Amino acid sequence: MTNQAAEPLIWTKNGNMPIAGLTYQTAWDVQIPHYIKFCERYLDASGDVVKESAHVYDCQGVSAAGVVASL
Amino acid sequence: MSNTQAMATSFKKELFNGEHQFGSPTLVSRTSLTAPTADSFKAALYLATATLNKSTTVYSATNEVSGTGYTAGGVAIGAWNAPASNADSAYTTPTASFAWTTVTLATAFDCCFIYNDTQNDKAVSVHTFGSQTVTAGNFTLTMPANAVGTALLQIT
Repeated sequence: MTNQAAEPLIWTKNGNMPIAGLTYQTAWDVQIPHYIKFCERYLDASGDVVKESAHVYDCQGVSAAGVVASL
Repeated sequence: MSNTQAMATSFKKELFNGEHQFGSPTLVSRTSLTAPTADSFKAALYLATATLNKSTTVYSATNEVSGTGYTAGGVAIGAWNAPASNADSAYTTPTASFAWTTVTLATAFDCCFIYNDTQNDKAVSVHTFGSQTVTAGNFTLTMPANAVGTALLQIT
């Protein structure tokens, strides 16, 4: 019986993979005042993206102007 | 003192609440004529090649994203902040973020479309955020502050 800790895994398109064997990348897309987007990727040894998530903060919604006509 | 031409701010807020009716639309029943229930809304994602805009009138599955973990029609928007107003504007925003978990959306998308699920899928708004794909991951769309100038929907 070994006392070795279990190797951390992460869910990818190829199933659970050892997270230590993947390359982690992040990117920000800042488009103020429209939105801010954070992307994170995991790449395998061949450079293939095996996991990718994105999170968008919508800084500003949409607006309509109420206009009344002059009589 | 003098009079000032304007659209009443209270009217703007009441539009969000459906308190005025100028035409004779065909509606899905809101249960009660005097205390109608709120409609249900949904948020769907669209491909970057789609052409949704202010002229979009109703939800369509055409050019909606597809992939593992994504359900056509999008996700339900749980609740909206009660429509509010300041001196000039009325506004409202969903109370929670929209989230798609453990999905694979291999074709680039850049748009979230909000529509009225109760009233025959009628369009509400289109929101864009730059081209994106997701692979065995999550996509979340966090709502802006529910305030004048930032709220998801605003009538000024």
